[in-house]
Amino acid sequence: MIEVENISKRFRLSRKQRREMGEDYSGGKFIQSVSDVSFKCTPGKIFTLLGPNGAGKTTILRMLGTILKQDSGKIIVAGLDTLKEPDKVRSKIGFLTGTTGLYARLTPEEMVKYYANLYGISGKKYTEKRDLLFDLLEINKFKDRRIGKLSSGMKQKVSIARTLIHDPEVVIFDEPTVGLDVITSRNIIKLIRDCRDEGKTVIFSTHIMGEVSMLSDDLAIMNRGKIIFNDTFNKFKTGMKSATIEDEFVRIVGGEK
Amino acid sequence: MKNIIIIFLKEMKDILRDRRTLLLMVVMPLVLFPLIINISSKFMMKLETSAKTKILRVGVILNSNDDRIRRSVSSRDDMTLTDVNDENSIESMINGKTLDFCIVFDEQFDKKVKTLQQGEIRLYFKSSAKNDISKKRIDKLLSDYKNDLLEERFRILELSIDVVKAFNINEKDIVSVKEKFGEKVGGFIPYLFVIFCFVGAMYPAIDLGAGEKERGTIETLLVSPASRTQIVIGKFIVVTLSGIISAVLTFVGLYASIKLNSEIPAEILDLILKVIDINSIIVIFTLIIPISVFFAGILLSFSFFANSFKEAQSIMTPFNFVVIIPAFIGTLPGMKLTATTAMIPILNVSLASKGIISGTVNSGHLAIVYISMFLLAAVSLIICIKWFGREQVIFRG
Repeated sequence: MIEVENISKRFRLSRKQRREMGEDYSGGKFIQSVSDVSFKCTPGKIFTLLGPNGAGKTTILRMLGTILKQDSGKIIVAGLDTLKEPDKVRSKIGFLTGTTGLYARLTPEEMVKYYANLYGISGKKYTEKRDLLFDLLEINKFKDRRIGKLSSGMKQKVSIARTLIHDPEVVIFDEPTVGLDVITSRNIIKLIRDCRDEGKTVIFSTHIMGEVSMLSDDLAIMNRGKIIFNDTFNKFKTGMKSATIEDEFVRIVGGEK
Repeated sequence: MKNIIIIFLKEMKDILRDRRTLLLMVVMPLVLFPLIINISSKFMMKLETSAKTKILRVGVILNSNDDRIRRSVSSRDDMTLTDVNDENSIESMINGKTLDFCIVFDEQFDKKVKTLQQGEIRLYFKSSAKNDISKKRIDKLLSDYKNDLLEERFRILELSIDVVKAFNINEKDIVSVKEKFGEKVGGFIPYLFVIFCFVGAMYPAIDLGAGEKERGTIETLLVSPASRTQIVIGKFIVVTLSGIISAVLTFVGLYASIKLNSEIPAEILDLILKVIDINSIIVIFTLIIPISVFFAGILLSFSFFANSFKEAQSIMTPFNFVVIIPAFIGTLPGMKLTATTAMIPILNVSLASKGIISGTVNSGHLAIVYISMFLLAAVSLIICIKWFGREQVIFRG
């Protein structure tokens, strides 16, 4: 379970960033990335965060993962407050992004073991979980090769194994298919569904409409740091005033004038 | 603690598989040194031998009835005599390599010498590293001739040579070989290990900080149960250790290159090995630890700030000078460890090492060096941890 209550987050802008923003810069030293956001993700359901680039999706997911701290509001992940018990929160979550990097000089086996050790999993428990994931993701045939020599599909499989090695209660996917080929993307989509079917709390962010319709149980649409829609995906579909999901999304975020 | 060990072991394994790190941390100090020292000493020895054994082509314009110089040159096996007629042609003969040296007696030479005045001999040559060594033979030849003439004068005047030598200075230099060695080359050793300690720690620091950001692995590491302090300490130990390994290997490389160098005469080799004794080495090693910690703190902080490998390199490159300049100042003659210099980072380690090698280090000053370096090392570690905890630094830009 994830409960987010009225969280806000702003970032200080450097002089260079202010210059680079051009017309979008509205003055002041800060930019409001997330503004008074609340939502709830329940176990066994996929919660989708949909929004254009810069909407604040990644910032929210990073706050859920305790990488960033919110300026105000409260986040409860798996019953734990992210500000009060960040270390415990981190042990309950798995985090995967489309740009997730791996250590090129390690092998998949070493990479997964490294994270398993950090999560306190070792011995028989680790071996069993590793064997299960490596069989499922077909990693065994390249488990002893250096990650730097693997294809992007193979690397993504290693990332998945790394994310799930500690069997997290909550799984966070931040645009997990960005830059991946169709086959690898489908594997990720299947993985997200599997996580839901196992009763995990799943939150994923995307700006790809096809993924939204394939995966979402609950949906929140974000724009400029605010949630402008938050309900079930079915309610979103039934209330649509445009012909397609994409058109409806554009209409809601006001992308076309 | 467990997470620190896990991070440390993984990072150590990772950087030891990095060719660039291995090259700077291990290969350079261990291979490059013996190679440079061996090649340069072989070259120097070859040059010296060649200069000493070369048969010199010596020209003479006598303009004198005294032909002792001419006879001396022609009687020697290591010189060939050429009678030159025109002084104006000497330069072109030397440039054309038909002559190495030319001794020209002034036309008034005989007259002046006979009247007990100062005669003049002009010596033509083209200076170079090799010729300067060869010139010593010509200098000796002329000096012997000068002494002969002086003795003749004293005989004529019926005087003892002591007349022009009112007293003899019998110098009693109480400096020990160790002190002399420490003063002359003692500064060179810390200069090398300080530089290599820094360079050896630099690449692992870049890889473990900015490299982690560039690869996109920082996010997943931050979501792991390891706290930021544990992550920093794990990485910090690796960078510190890299600096220490690099500095120690510089020492080993230097030692091996001296010991295995066949060109160094045995008596000089014994002397060097006696001066750099095991106690001095141990004390110097204790100085490497705080300076490595200090470097690790600074380098990792820079590295965490940078967003990419390239940016980290461009930030750290100017910092090289901040390290080189005080390390170099420490090599200058006359620079000594005082209460003030003992508090200046890098310079203090350089001067303390120099003092340790020469055996002149003051224990009070050495204590100041330890205290200031350990304090600085602690401050750099705290800054690094604080820095890593800042969102603006980790997710800069």
